[in-house]
Amino acid sequence: MPFQRLKRDTAEELCLEWIMQVKNYKLDLDKNRCVGCQICSLACPKEAIRIEKQPKVIGEKTLKAKVDVALSKCNFCGICDISCPYGAISVTVDGKHLLSVLDKESFPRLIRDVKADASKFPVDPDKSENVCPINLIKVQYSTPAGKLVEDPRSLSRSELNALKVKVEVDKEHCPCCGICEVKLPQGAMNVRRIFSGKLAIKRENCPEGCTDCLDICPITGALYLSDIDKKVHENEAFCVYCGACKIVCPVDKALDFKRTRIHHTTVRSGAWNKALERLTSPTDMTKELKAKRSLRARESVKKRMGLKEEQHV
Amino acid sequence: MSKKPKKSTAEEKTKPRQKKTGPKTEGPRIGVFVCQCGSNIASIIDVDALTKYAQTMPNVVHAESMSYPCSRQGQEAIVAAIKNNKLDRVVVAGCSPRLYEPTFQSCVSRAELNPWLFEMANIREFTSYCNQTSPEEANEKAKDTVRMAVAKARLLEPLKPIELPITKKVMVIGGGIAGINAALDLADMGFKVYMVEKSETIGGVMALLDKTFPTLDCSICIEGPKMVDVGRHPNIEIISYADVLKVEGYVGNFNVKIRKNPRYVIAANCTGCGECRDACPIEYPNYADMYLGARKAISIPFGQAVPLTHTINRDYCIECYKCVDACGAREAINFDQKPEEIDVNVGAIVVTVGYSMYDPKDLTWTGYGKFSNVFTAMEFERLILAAGPTGGKVIRASDSQKPHSVAFMQCVGSRDINKYEYCSGFCCMYTLKHSVMLKEKYRDAIDVYVLYNDMRSNFKGYEEFFNRAQKSGVKFIRVKLENRRITEDPQTKNLTVCAEAEDGKTVSVHAEMVVLANAAIPAPAAGELAKILNIPLDKDGFFIECQPKIRPTDTAVPGIFLAGACQGLKDIPYSVAQGSAAAAQAASVLGKNTWTVEPLVARVNEDQCSGCRVCESACGYQAIKVEKTGEKSVAKVTEGLCRGCGICSSACPMDAVTMPNYSDCQIVAQIQAVMKKGSTKT
Repeated sequence: MPFQRLKRDTAEELCLEWIMQVKNYKLDLDKNRCVGCQICSLACPKEAIRIEKQPKVIGEKTLKAKVDVALSKCNFCGICDISCPYGAISVTVDGKHLLSVLDKESFPRLIRDVKADASKFPVDPDKSENVCPINLIKVQYSTPAGKLVEDPRSLSRSELNALKVKVEVDKEHCPCCGICEVKLPQGAMNVRRIFSGKLAIKRENCPEGCTDCLDICPITGALYLSDIDKKVHENEAFCVYCGACKIVCPVDKALDFKRTRIHHTTVRSGAWNKALERLTSPTDMTKELKAKRSLRARESVKKRMGLKEEQHV
Repeated sequence: MSKKPKKSTAEEKTKPRQKKTGPKTEGPRIGVFVCQCGSNIASIIDVDALTKYAQTMPNVVHAESMSYPCSRQGQEAIVAAIKNNKLDRVVVAGCSPRLYEPTFQSCVSRAELNPWLFEMANIREFTSYCNQTSPEEANEKAKDTVRMAVAKARLLEPLKPIELPITKKVMVIGGGIAGINAALDLADMGFKVYMVEKSETIGGVMALLDKTFPTLDCSICIEGPKMVDVGRHPNIEIISYADVLKVEGYVGNFNVKIRKNPRYVIAANCTGCGECRDACPIEYPNYADMYLGARKAISIPFGQAVPLTHTINRDYCIECYKCVDACGAREAINFDQKPEEIDVNVGAIVVTVGYSMYDPKDLTWTGYGKFSNVFTAMEFERLILAAGPTGGKVIRASDSQKPHSVAFMQCVGSRDINKYEYCSGFCCMYTLKHSVMLKEKYRDAIDVYVLYNDMRSNFKGYEEFFNRAQKSGVKFIRVKLENRRITEDPQTKNLTVCAEAEDGKTVSVHAEMVVLANAAIPAPAAGELAKILNIPLDKDGFFIECQPKIRPTDTAVPGIFLAGACQGLKDIPYSVAQGSAAAAQAASVLGKNTWTVEPLVARVNEDQCSGCRVCESACGYQAIKVEKTGEKSVAKVTEGLCRGCGICSSACPMDAVTMPNYSDCQIVAQIQAVMKKGSTKT
């Protein structure tokens, strides 16, 4: 059978495939999870991903931008998969989600530092599971005997206190907005952001009555419509700095947006440096490189000092 | 008349002949020799009358008729006549100058006459052959022809042959098995060889094959050592991953511009260790595995590659620089490498660019590309190869299981007037090879069918191999080439091959795998290369040899030779033989110190030339170019390129270009001679 390159684009997913007899590469883009931010297209080393702004229909909610991957350029490296904060892209080799770029340390993992303390979770599904704007928290209650409890609200107070709580967070798809941290009792969740940056709405530049950014923002609470001036305001405490708002914003100067740092595992890779430069800025990339360099220098000095001390002994 | 040559030569030796300053009183002394050519001429033309007629022409001091002037006796008679009669121009009225002009030129030079003081009148092809029913008119025409020749002979001038220097180097384009043999032969003879190869490694198609027919020898085990020899030979320089951009010049003096494409790896520093390959995270489909498997973005196409230099495919590379780290102190990787253009001078060129395979996707009846278990022969070759992507396991694409039955379909695309009319030549034999290998490996566990139309097993040991296949239990089914069809069971992915037998009945074969013997076609680069080299291609796209029977490795361009499948499809032994043949041909050029060119090339009168460049655009061989010499720009002729066609001469508005011995006054004299019918006074 000849080598085949396939592309399937449906309402639910975009699927790219390389079929060789002994190897199969596949890229799946889950359009429900995708928010139309620009991160994959910025991270892609082959410039294979394009973001298409959807035309706006007056009187209707703005649609999120569409992501298209060019089959002729994609090399199935999986960097889009790794960098998507929402986990919307999955690249598999022979059906296995094992990415060579991670193995060979050609690209870092984004660190999704999400810790859950089940003991501090409220015994009320409405107040625990539902706090997540994209429903990634699953809480299970069981009796001391191990029996699952469907609805703990029907139980008595003593029974409630004895319940065992098990919390599962779908980290793979978590953009680390930190809303859970605020909405749940203190200490129940501990979240560290993946991206740091800056988001400021210059409301004087906003078109009258425009809520495009708010329409597509997946993190409820990161943007809100103010009752006072009827304009969209930002709440940086919850922003994940995905930049989806910046894509749909119809005017140039209304949104001041940038990413400055990315929380990731350490690697030494040209591909990452380039992605970092595009995702943040050349200055921020240089900053990270400098930090890495001084870290390495410090370590090597420490090593040498250590040796010297030993020699003295 | 021709009976006493010895006496005359003895006489002449004492006082050597001076061509122009002889004791002549009234212009040149012309001798006319009328050939009877057995009865070819004499049966129509009255040769005696013609001879007598010639004697009456001015300046003709000697005329005679002989049955075969081209024979040894005839030539001796001409030599004697020249010496006895102090002739300084010779006209032979006989056959076409294409055939015998060189013979007579050497004949007159034996009588110490300049060979360009010889003229031929064609009274055979132009007269006796084409006027068989009207001998009277034929005789008149013969007289006209002889009169014209004499008129021209009167004005002939002595010329000197042109000697061109020869660069004792050779370029072989294409590193397949034919090119490897040509290169090794030439290098062993002591010539410097540049082997230019388009892909990353030499070896060609043979390096990708598993076994060779009819002996079932391992292909790379035979070719690998030869590839290594090429790589190690002190006289051979491999220029791989490179394209020939431009070829200028002529035999003995070709100037070739080559572009070395960037590998992003410094060949001198790369040890071929493969540590970069292990560090690389990216894979892409490997052409050497017929895209059945993948290779790393920095890698070699197969283990035996020569040179072993790795190549980065920047189409897929993500530039993580892990390879740079892995290479370390060897510092072989250079991402800033640029395409590099180099010029080499060579005396001869051997073209061995090979062939490629037709993609049968557009033949919908085959189901290739649609049904997963339909393979091409080259794909099957990589499946059965132990070093191939499946480790030598013949498995189906749909379920990775070993098939229990395999059907081979012959003549897919070839012998098809809608696709490729020609027979690809070697498909019958490789199908026999595949079927024997399957049958001898799996015995009764596999059913092997071959659906063929004609089994072409000519050449040494091939028919015996066909018998071996039949004995091993392969089922041969003879079918017509029309109305063949392959269908698939969508559940099991098994295939059914339907065809029409010779007796008109429908044959259907159920098989778990089908292998197509798809047509072999010219190499994709052949068209462009043909333009660069100025060699014609035939209607199918293969290079045309000079003469199919007796000059199969020569081209229309002197100094450029052909070998291997680019000239016409052929199998390994014949490619090897032709490679050596082309090497011998090239050596016959390179072995000389100078290359002699006929002096019938354009001459420029620099005083008359205005440098208008009309000749430049008229010339079809880029042989005449206007160059600045001192104050003036004048046309210059590259003698090695000029074919003496005379177009520049007729195009020149200043009458500055003349063709030696085809000058205006000579041609006008001939025209005047033919117009004065019946008169001997010209």
